[in-house]
Amino acid sequence: MVNTALTIQELLPYGANKSSNKKLDLDTVLPFIILPILLLIATLSRIITIIVMVIIGMGTLYVVSRPRQKNRSPFFFSWTLSSGICMFLVFELGVLRLLEITQLENFIFLLLLACTCYFFYKMKAIADFELATGSSKGKVYSPVLTSDSHFCQICQIEVNEKFFHSIWWDCCVLRPNYMHFLAGQVFAFGTLLHGVNLGLTTVCQPFIFYGTILMPEDCEDVYYDFELAICFVACMYGVGYLFVISIVLIHQLLVYIPKYSEPQWRKLVNVLNV
Amino acid sequence: MRHAFKKKIIYCGLIVIALIIFLHPNMNGRRTYDYIEKNNIMVNLHDRIAQNFTSTAIMDCDYRDILFDVTTMSVSLMDGDLIEGHKIKDGGEFYPSECKPKFSTAIIVPYRDRAEQLRGFLVYMHVFLRRQNIHYRIYVIEQVDTKPFNRAKLLNIGAAAAFKAGYPCLVLHDVDLLPLRPANLYACTKCPRHMSSSINKFRFVLPYLNLFGGAIAITSQQYKLINGMSNEYYGWGGEDDDLYARLEVEELKLCRFEPEVSRYHMVAHQTQRKGERKHKVFNYAKNKVNEDGLNTLKYTEVATVLHPLFTHIMVDL
Repeated sequence: MVNTALTIQELLPYGANKSSNKKLDLDTVLPFIILPILLLIATLSRIITIIVMVIIGMGTLYVVSRPRQKNRSPFFFSWTLSSGICMFLVFELGVLRLLEITQLENFIFLLLLACTCYFFYKMKAIADFELATGSSKGKVYSPVLTSDSHFCQICQIEVNEKFFHSIWWDCCVLRPNYMHFLAGQVFAFGTLLHGVNLGLTTVCQPFIFYGTILMPEDCEDVYYDFELAICFVACMYGVGYLFVISIVLIHQLLVYIPKYSEPQWRKLVNVLNV
Repeated sequence: MRHAFKKKIIYCGLIVIALIIFLHPNMNGRRTYDYIEKNNIMVNLHDRIAQNFTSTAIMDCDYRDILFDVTTMSVSLMDGDLIEGHKIKDGGEFYPSECKPKFSTAIIVPYRDRAEQLRGFLVYMHVFLRRQNIHYRIYVIEQVDTKPFNRAKLLNIGAAAAFKAGYPCLVLHDVDLLPLRPANLYACTKCPRHMSSSINKFRFVLPYLNLFGGAIAITSQQYKLINGMSNEYYGWGGEDDDLYARLEVEELKLCRFEPEVSRYHMVAHQTQRKGERKHKVFNYAKNKVNEDGLNTLKYTEVATVLHPLFTHIMVDL
């Protein structure tokens, strides 16, 4: 028999070389159990949905507020994956089954999703490559940090030109993959926005917003039917993600895009100087 | 090497799954479909009036303006009241006095326990239908027993009452649907017509091509030909697909008006319409058409009351 027990880590460019002891495995699997259960519980009633969403939000805030080096675990990346997969399955198996999504809308959704996946995959692949062989890797046991290198406490490695480490993607974002990170976030935003809009207009009473664009209006009776409720809850979760992504994008706009484009500016200024 | 191979397998698997989901034709609604062009509607209409109806007007009514009407009516009309002097006769019958209508339509509404909704529906429909210059009468068939709601059988009962009054055209209508476009003429076409093909609740999408429920227009002749609807669908759902199966047996093709014109507003209500939105696969017994339907219709009529806005038929099934 061929060993078919693939873990998520093996599929991804980065995780495979990690030492896989029991704790890490548990961390990887846990989100795939916790999140579906939370979403299922949230289908019970409006109040419970709100409570579950608040709990998830508070958990996220707690994680973000912890010292960074404590968050060295594949749990968070698994959580991202699990969220994506859950929402995707609910959309394709739940929302589509209500027969209210046209082929074109579904196609646009899949296209956006494919772009999102591509950019995030590329981001991780580049980070993996750069840190293993590329020019971004500094010395591992450097006694002194040079000015342009940076010690990543999560990867436990010293990298040049590091921007930040994203625990949710379990990956260092460096100059070479920064554009992919940004594009991935933008496409993720688009995918979620489109998907949530389709989902909510399907389960709720929609109204014509402009042209063929519909907006949800009245979501009173979604909790009577499990199928409608799970679609609604997944959409609410998606709205939460939209909120987070918009914060990330604003943060990028204010902090990292200026940093990213700084050398280009400097080059321009240098040209003028000469 | 092994790693790359595994990856390839996984990617192929993912692509195949995505394609299966994406190409699943039953899972997609549609915004467009074959419909009768606006210019061809007039020739496709079944212009008959009720047998014992005579209009004193000399001029024939003109329907061209109505068919090309671009206005959308406001749903808030249902919260208001009818204007005085609306000339609606007891039993909810109306015909224009200034011209001779070409169409007589019996609007049959199965109903139970939604008094407030019925009131709104009647007010709205009378305002809506009076604009269309047709001769019509609204029949509300109420199920007063405690059995599960049997929409199809109630429609059969209403149809029988309409036949008795000599109506050549039936509109089978749900009480929670409000037509938004006056251009959606409440008259029969030569083919059975699915009128509510663009409902707001369904994102203005037609869930599947063979959907034949909500609001439909069918001539009395055709309704008799297919032996009406089945009497055996208690509870929500399925009876409209059965009706479609009956049309297929008699090789009647359904038709629609364009989506823009076929817009409907579904009034939100607490009672869940479970199962109704799903395309259930039943084994519609196509050979049962002659054994179950109008000719086997049995019920006890509790009362028939002529209210100012509608004919109220109360039945025990």
